[in-house]
Amino acid sequence: MNVLGPSLAPYIRSSRTLKKYVTPVAHWYADLMGYRKMGLKYDDLQVEENPQVQRALGRLTPRETYERSYRFKIASNCDLHHKPLPKEQWSKPEDDKRYLQPHILNIIKEEEERFTWDAMTVQRK
Amino acid sequence: MLARRASAFARSFATVVDNAGVKVAAIDNGQPTTAVTFLVKAGSRYEPKPGVAHTLKNFAFKSTGKRSALGTVRESELYGGVLSASLSREYLALTSEFLRGDESFFVDLMSSFLTSSKFQRHEFQEYVLPVVEAESTAASQNPATRALELAHSLAFRSGLGSSLFASPHSHVSLDDVKEFAARAFSKGNIAVLGTGIDSAALTQLVEKALGGASVGNVAVESKPSTYFGGETRLESHGGPETVFIGFGAAGPADPALAILSAHLSPQPSVKWSQGLSPISAAIPQGTSVQPVLMPYSDATLFGLLVQGSSPEGVKEAAKVATNALKESTGLNGDALKTAVAKAKFAAASSLDGRDGILGALSTKVFANSDASIEATLASIDKVDAAAFSKSVAAITKSKPTFVAIGSVQTLPFTDELGL
Repeated sequence: MNVLGPSLAPYIRSSRTLKKYVTPVAHWYADLMGYRKMGLKYDDLQVEENPQVQRALGRLTPRETYERSYRFKIASNCDLHHKPLPKEQWSKPEDDKRYLQPHILNIIKEEEERFTWDAMTVQRK
Repeated sequence: MLARRASAFARSFATVVDNAGVKVAAIDNGQPTTAVTFLVKAGSRYEPKPGVAHTLKNFAFKSTGKRSALGTVRESELYGGVLSASLSREYLALTSEFLRGDESFFVDLMSSFLTSSKFQRHEFQEYVLPVVEAESTAASQNPATRALELAHSLAFRSGLGSSLFASPHSHVSLDDVKEFAARAFSKGNIAVLGTGIDSAALTQLVEKALGGASVGNVAVESKPSTYFGGETRLESHGGPETVFIGFGAAGPADPALAILSAHLSPQPSVKWSQGLSPISAAIPQGTSVQPVLMPYSDATLFGLLVQGSSPEGVKEAAKVATNALKESTGLNGDALKTAVAKAKFAAASSLDGRDGILGALSTKVFANSDASIEATLASIDKVDAAAFSKSVAAITKSKPTFVAIGSVQTLPFTDELGL
């Protein structure tokens, strides 16, 4: 179990028929979740109270960091009003990219590499 | 790709082999350890913006396509190797020293930096920039280093005048570094030098490592150097008072300047003696003078670095040094023979150590010139009193490069020294 949570996505993507039928269901569900109505992206929902995601947040560009903070402000404002945003301000599905996931995956890989190096036993041939 | 063997020189200590544009030279004296240096024409002379070469040098041994930064360090530690990168005005040198038998790993490691370095943003910000800042700060707090940087900037302006260190005023971005690396890491700009390894073995390893890789073919351009000269003074405290009196000339290295440097050097040949230098007899206590000779491929800077604890002492020592320099045009007879012998010995004994061998090879390998010590010694021997006098007169007639760092109200000006 890593900070990205359990996922069947790699298994579904590996099979062509599964991918063809499950993808529209996945898109419908992401829309139904309602985070786009608050102007958020999927990676804004990522639990950040752990060291891996904190490191990943440190790897965002200054522009990405600023836009993330701005989206949080808009979403907090929505929460205050107990209302979603007007339809023109909803975040678009084509803009809803996983900007944090590649960084998190790299960090998990790096941590695994470090553990491997630390725990290695070496034999000179 | 056929490897062309350069003509074998009598008693040469290294043969320069041209392997598809990458020059390889190696010398094997039976040492238990091997050192391989990848020399790239990516010195501060070729940088498009100030500070880029210094930043690129600090990117060495970070993540590449083959292994991460952590993997590089851990694996070379397991082999017991020492990795280092150094920057000079003309070359970037990546060196690794290791036990015999491990050469394939280390040659592969260094070549992967040249071919597949990732230049990742987070490594740039977390690893590279703090080190660049620390090195620049340390350099700016050493008055001798600062004096030499300023002297080069006055003497050569652009090209060789670019500082070896990034300054806090120049902003270097990751894209600048990537662009510079893409241009500089092309086959014609790379030479591989080895000590403690056979030339054929090294050539084979280099062919395997750099052969099929995506190494570019765009050469790095640099305008030929011109010598200008100038004067500058810098207020400073906390370090020794420093004065640099220099002269320079464009053109290939002149062996007469090596003889001049040996003649003026206050370094005694016998410990605890004062030495025969005209300078060491007359400078006041607490001051030091050392000759600085910096020959580059198409220009030379020669000078005397005067340092001391009091500005009056430094002024006095600088007067002595300048007079000694002016009087040395008339050097002949036994005094000239002494200087020639000293210069020859300095050139030959520098080959005792690994650094000296690499230094000597690096000046010759790109120029495809005679890579033997006999040639250097012969050229120093050939200088007679007339040629020496002519060379020294010519260089002292050029505009002086004068740098004063410390209490500038008391340190001398050029006219006070008679320059």
